[in-house]
Amino acid sequence: MTLNANLSHLGKRIRTTLTSLQLTITCLALLIALVFLCTIAQVEMGTLGAVNTYMRSWVVWWAPKGFTFQLPVFPGGALVGFVLTANLTAALIARFTFGWQKAGLWVVHSGLILLVAGEFVSGSMQVEHRMVIREGETVNFLESYRDTELVVRDVSDPGYENVFTVPATRLAKGGVIPLKGSPLSIRVNRYYKNVALSPLAPEDHAPLATRGVGATVKLTELQTESADNKMNQTCALVEPLGGGQSYGIWLVSTLLGAPQSFIHEGRTYVLSMRIQRQYLPYALTLKKFRHDVYPGTDIPKNFSSLVRLENPGRNEDREVLIYMNQPLRYQGRTFYQSGFEGDTITILQVVQNPGWLLPYISCVLVTIGLLFHFIVSLRRSMSRRSA
Amino acid sequence: MKLTKYLPWIAGLVALVATLVMALPASNVRGFDLNSFGSLPVLEGGRVKPLNSLARNSLLVIRSQQSFRFEDRTIQADEWLADLLFRPQVADRQPVFVINDPDVLGLVGLQQTSVRYFSFETLIPHIEAIERQAQAAHAIEAPKRDRFQNAIENLYSRMILYHRLRNTIQLADSPGLALELSVAGNPEAMTRQESMIQLAFFRPLPPLAGQSQEAWKNTGEAMRARSMGMIHPGLGLFAQLGAAYSGGDAAAFNRAVTDLRGLHLANQPTAQNQADSELRFNRAQPFYAGMVIYVLALLTLFVSWAWKRELLQPAAFGLLLAGSIVHTVGLASRIILQGRPPVTNLYSSAVFVGWAAVILGIILERIYRKGFGTAVAAAAGFGSLIVAHHLASDGDTMEMMRAVLDSNFWLATHVVAITIGYSGTFLAGTIALGYTLRKHIVGDADKETTKALSGMVYGVICFALLFSFVGTVLGGIWADQSWGRFWGWDPKENGALLIVLWNAIILHARWAGYVRERGIMAMAIFGNIITSLSWFGVNMLGVGLHSYGFMDKAFWALSIFVASQLLLMGLCLAPPMFWKRLPSAK
Repeated sequence: MTLNANLSHLGKRIRTTLTSLQLTITCLALLIALVFLCTIAQVEMGTLGAVNTYMRSWVVWWAPKGFTFQLPVFPGGALVGFVLTANLTAALIARFTFGWQKAGLWVVHSGLILLVAGEFVSGSMQVEHRMVIREGETVNFLESYRDTELVVRDVSDPGYENVFTVPATRLAKGGVIPLKGSPLSIRVNRYYKNVALSPLAPEDHAPLATRGVGATVKLTELQTESADNKMNQTCALVEPLGGGQSYGIWLVSTLLGAPQSFIHEGRTYVLSMRIQRQYLPYALTLKKFRHDVYPGTDIPKNFSSLVRLENPGRNEDREVLIYMNQPLRYQGRTFYQSGFEGDTITILQVVQNPGWLLPYISCVLVTIGLLFHFIVSLRRSMSRRSA
Repeated sequence: MKLTKYLPWIAGLVALVATLVMALPASNVRGFDLNSFGSLPVLEGGRVKPLNSLARNSLLVIRSQQSFRFEDRTIQADEWLADLLFRPQVADRQPVFVINDPDVLGLVGLQQTSVRYFSFETLIPHIEAIERQAQAAHAIEAPKRDRFQNAIENLYSRMILYHRLRNTIQLADSPGLALELSVAGNPEAMTRQESMIQLAFFRPLPPLAGQSQEAWKNTGEAMRARSMGMIHPGLGLFAQLGAAYSGGDAAAFNRAVTDLRGLHLANQPTAQNQADSELRFNRAQPFYAGMVIYVLALLTLFVSWAWKRELLQPAAFGLLLAGSIVHTVGLASRIILQGRPPVTNLYSSAVFVGWAAVILGIILERIYRKGFGTAVAAAAGFGSLIVAHHLASDGDTMEMMRAVLDSNFWLATHVVAITIGYSGTFLAGTIALGYTLRKHIVGDADKETTKALSGMVYGVICFALLFSFVGTVLGGIWADQSWGRFWGWDPKENGALLIVLWNAIILHARWAGYVRERGIMAMAIFGNIITSLSWFGVNMLGVGLHSYGFMDKAFWALSIFVASQLLLMGLCLAPPMFWKRLPSAK
């Protein structure tokens, strides 16, 4: 056989495999196994952990007990989804024929491709934040659910603050980080993903921090949390540098509330670690938060937040009522009523997902396709029965 | 010939008439008109309901039954509640607490015998030990509690419910509401009012003209308002009612009940009318009646396969139709009473799954006319109503919807579509079970029936796929509307996805020719497992946004069901030598 014949043979093989129903069924069966495992694993790992391990990964890794290395043991959800989409697309192109008989199925499968594509878009591009507003307060930033950042605030001027931030992910890499726009840089001595802090006892080792609260605190490293309702308390030992001089080693953590400050060239800088923020070109003011329960019970009946939306850039100033099943969609972000604290603090979930419309289109396509196909097959079998 | 034509109608009508007779009100108990007492509206759990519903649900929670035997008489829920409210010394001697856990029995100094029901009087000396253990158990997360911890926590909460009920209208150790009213001014009485306000489990006094619809009051609150000059006329009537009941004066009791009804009809006619409708619904017990009729239909059909087929098969169909009418009326009444789409919780999903399966079965029977549709529909209807019956023991089945679920549009579309998907998958599985049993018992004599069964299973799986897919995606869209995530890999969502994927696998495997008749049947039986896991199993994980019905009792039932289905799958796939051959097939 010539190389060419070989190649064309191979091409044919690939084509038949790629368009085969066998591949479809294999992928569906693998998906069933993955979905099942992902569901069971949520008890131990939390939803996010299980989804990252089984569904959003290309390969499922497994570490044998007592070993540090990991073995690839199962194809991950992303891989199976990708192969299934390729299989669907290839089969659609290869088997495409005009005519009413198959039109329904064709529409159904295009809808399915769109659905899987939508999940890929969401998986890779969806960003979730939250916004916490107290009644009467105006907020123009979003908060991350899990990520934190180091903040250095120049508070020397009475009217305004100059704020410099370093995300925790950057701190994790270590080294010296210049704060753009300021004469300072930050050297990261250590970074911890999750810690507990306690008062220093006389028998403890000397703390690594030399300045601020950190010099009187004992630090215990903890396992990182993956459960959905638990947050990691990040912590870092940082050393501000300026004008060739070190300002000592400071401990910053999300667990510490008290401000720690130092003075460089006559300006006061405050160090802290906080939930990562993202600022918006517009602001929301909470005018009224309502939380109703059914009479005589504590079953929630309704939550709603009446907010004022102000966007000076677009000359907008209007009131919006956000409540259950009725989010505010604004400039690519969607604000949902997600929770509350006490009677006056509302918690909005803010989601940015460029692919949010895809499942809607897909749902319409698949429903129409299935119904159409159902009617066509029913008519066919009826005419066969009466024949 | 004539009999063949009329027998189905006669059978169906007899079943319907019997159901109606069952729904008639019972006669007075010891002269007391407890029917009217049970019709009085009260506010509890956020909604207005008749005292009868409250009594039934409370007794169901405490004893797992709606009536019980005591001193050679059957005590119905209404009488039990009247005793508990006005004659607590009598109620305390009645064996209403069911205890099955041997360790809990040991804790209260009892041995495990055939007696499983105990009175409040027996338990109260051990209340300190029970309370201590229950509080220790309560500190542990629900999914991590062991059997004893669950049982003791459960017993304690039932005792609290009992304690609150018996202190709702008047304090259990007080000489009666009438006397309480006469000394309302003195400081000791004020303290007692305070405890009544704290303890009251329900609110029996409706808002008066000009007050907000939600301003229902318990007796403690009404007494406090009375001392400030706002006299609720219902308060005096309840005092008369209590005095008459504990004094054994039936005539005065009946007068007070009539006066209370008159007061409600004048002030809150909607509440009283709604309570009356719900009372009729409670008495009729349509789902229980439907269950009995389905069993009769199934038995008639079994007999028909051995004897007088041409006569009994239509009769079975007639019974099935009667059962479905009762079932439909029950479902419709619930929808009207609640003002909600049919499925709002696990209980109603079971009722609805059965209903949809029955309707599908009737349609199949009309198409194929082999008696098989009747069998499958009756079996599915009976099975799901049994499940519903057991799910009802959690208390009120018409509870209010939490805010996030409070959307009739999505309840009517997403939830109904998903539930119809469950019905379809279960129906296909049930037909496949019938196919398996039939092949083993009567052999493969009638090729045409076998072919018809294959056709049914295929059609029903297509139907199930359509509904479960649409339902799942609609669920995603609801999730996107309410918390911004189309798909969150929540256990319940995953369960729905598993059903969709499994049905898709069956259909693709059939189209590709990888499985034939028997393979499809075995796969359809496995569909039963997947559906049951997705319907109930995920609730047992105790994670996610859908874990509205956490259950541990059902775990064993589910395991046994899964095992039985696996066994039947094996039977379905067993090699031909296991398939019994009838002489006719040789």
